[in-house]
Amino acid sequence: MSENRFAHLMLAPAGVWLLLLFAVPLGIVLAVSLGTTDPVYQAVYGWHPGNFADVFDPRFAPILLRSLLYAVATVVLCLVIGYPIAYYIARFGGRWKTLLVAVVVLPFLVNYLIRTYAWVAILSDEGLVNGLLEDLGLSETGIRFLNTPWAVIGGLVYGYLAFMILPLYAALDRMDPALIEAGKDLYGNRWQTFRHVTWPAAFQGVAAGCVLVFLPALGDFISAQLLGGPDTYMIGNLIQQEFLEAQNWPFGAALTIVMMGFLLIWMLAYLRSAARADREGAL
Amino acid sequence: MSATLAGHSRTRSLHVPFSLRRRRPRDFDRPRFLRVFFWAFLVFTFAPLVVVALFSFNSTRSLQQFAGFSLQWYEAFFGNANLRASLLASAEIGLVTMIVGTFLGTTLAFGLVRARSRVARAGNVLMLIPLVTPEIVAGVSALLLFTQIKMELSLATIMIAEITFSISFVTVIVRARLASLHHEVEDAAMDLGATRLETLRLVVLPRLWPAIVASAMLVFALSFDDFVIAFFTTGESPTPLPVQIYSSIRFGVQPTINAIGTFMLVVSFLIVALAIALPRIFGHREEESVLIGREAA
Repeated sequence: MSENRFAHLMLAPAGVWLLLLFAVPLGIVLAVSLGTTDPVYQAVYGWHPGNFADVFDPRFAPILLRSLLYAVATVVLCLVIGYPIAYYIARFGGRWKTLLVAVVVLPFLVNYLIRTYAWVAILSDEGLVNGLLEDLGLSETGIRFLNTPWAVIGGLVYGYLAFMILPLYAALDRMDPALIEAGKDLYGNRWQTFRHVTWPAAFQGVAAGCVLVFLPALGDFISAQLLGGPDTYMIGNLIQQEFLEAQNWPFGAALTIVMMGFLLIWMLAYLRSAARADREGAL
Repeated sequence: MSATLAGHSRTRSLHVPFSLRRRRPRDFDRPRFLRVFFWAFLVFTFAPLVVVALFSFNSTRSLQQFAGFSLQWYEAFFGNANLRASLLASAEIGLVTMIVGTFLGTTLAFGLVRARSRVARAGNVLMLIPLVTPEIVAGVSALLLFTQIKMELSLATIMIAEITFSISFVTVIVRARLASLHHEVEDAAMDLGATRLETLRLVVLPRLWPAIVASAMLVFALSFDDFVIAFFTTGESPTPLPVQIYSSIRFGVQPTINAIGTFMLVVSFLIVALAIALPRIFGHREEESVLIGREAA
């Protein structure tokens, strides 16, 4: 058997699996999004583009907007927090670098649900922080942390920060610190050195990190469900409700497709750069 | 250093403030706030987990005061038949997904590295898409598929959905390792009369074990822990542990969840430790191998 034929034989099982159980279901989502429901709430195929008009209905458009806002805020906060952390390890970690990265990533290996729950336990009205505040006499009634947009965004940041730190670290670690010294020797001030030396070197990592955080953050529903409330629901909560509670599957599918639309440009950008890295790696 | 130079620097140093003189050169722009920020960050990310673990041993229901040491919440967890069934279900999902996903992902990696055709290039793109698809989309599409083909939701449907999303992780890890191997060694094996399958089994697989074991551990951790996909594809009972946790959290904070959470946290750390340790153990044996390929960086 020729090598190429053998390789194609190896390709077949997983290829067929992904085609039938990943690509085809995505097609089903698209088909259902154009369908309607019969009297017993079963999804029926059809041609009802109106589902998509409903998505942008004044009842739901604010939720869409809010989701985008929260996801962007999450990306920005992850960058602001993650950059100094990655920079600190890459520049000053010395021989402890690998250990420091492991320690930083460790909490993020814990189940996202458990991590979100941990914040509920700390910040809820009967939680640890409000208990401390009362004991110290700082607040009689306690402070309401949960059910606020900040709680939800905070949950998202705590959920996905590692996806920012790791690519940032990879990019910054590759950079030669002598470049920064050179920048200073050439009379660049702190800002100029950052702008012309560090930032271009970090950019690849920043781009990858932003995409890797934005994708899951926009589709998230756990943070808003556990740390927020109906006022902070995101598109993920809406999709989850339509499928598992309201049983309006065509509308849920339309929401899913619209969300994919928001993500598509980022997904494509990421796929392109991944494919490019692949080719360069192969050379 | 010459005497003149040393003398020169000594006279200069008289005018340098003490704090500056003490600095070593590599710290030339190491702002103190960076270090403070770094440690504050560690405290913030670890604190919630420490709180959960600590209060899982609390003798009262309170989340505000630690009254005393007790294992009652662990007894409540392991004594509950429902929760035990959930734990078992999650372990089954993790194991089946690990075995099937690792097999499919590894064969796919091999195919993608060696096959040359338009189909192979399309397969490469298809393989990458699950990595950038939000989990909720994965859950929705799996749910729709199973209802369309009238397959009843159960542990089996969760396993199928989890396998679908584990393949790409395995492929990416194994492929990186595969691409770093010398192809000539395989040619040599075939020249010596080995068949394709024998070459694969005797020459390629031994070099791939570290990557395969690492990705198998990763797949187990991901599917054992996964909530979103399981939430959409689960049947009535038993439901996997994360789904069970989610439904109890919605009814408010309960001490038993602290115990379950701490348990899952320990499982996750153990698996990651295995994922790091096992390939090293396999790696040692490799050094005795005569067929040393180019090592993956």
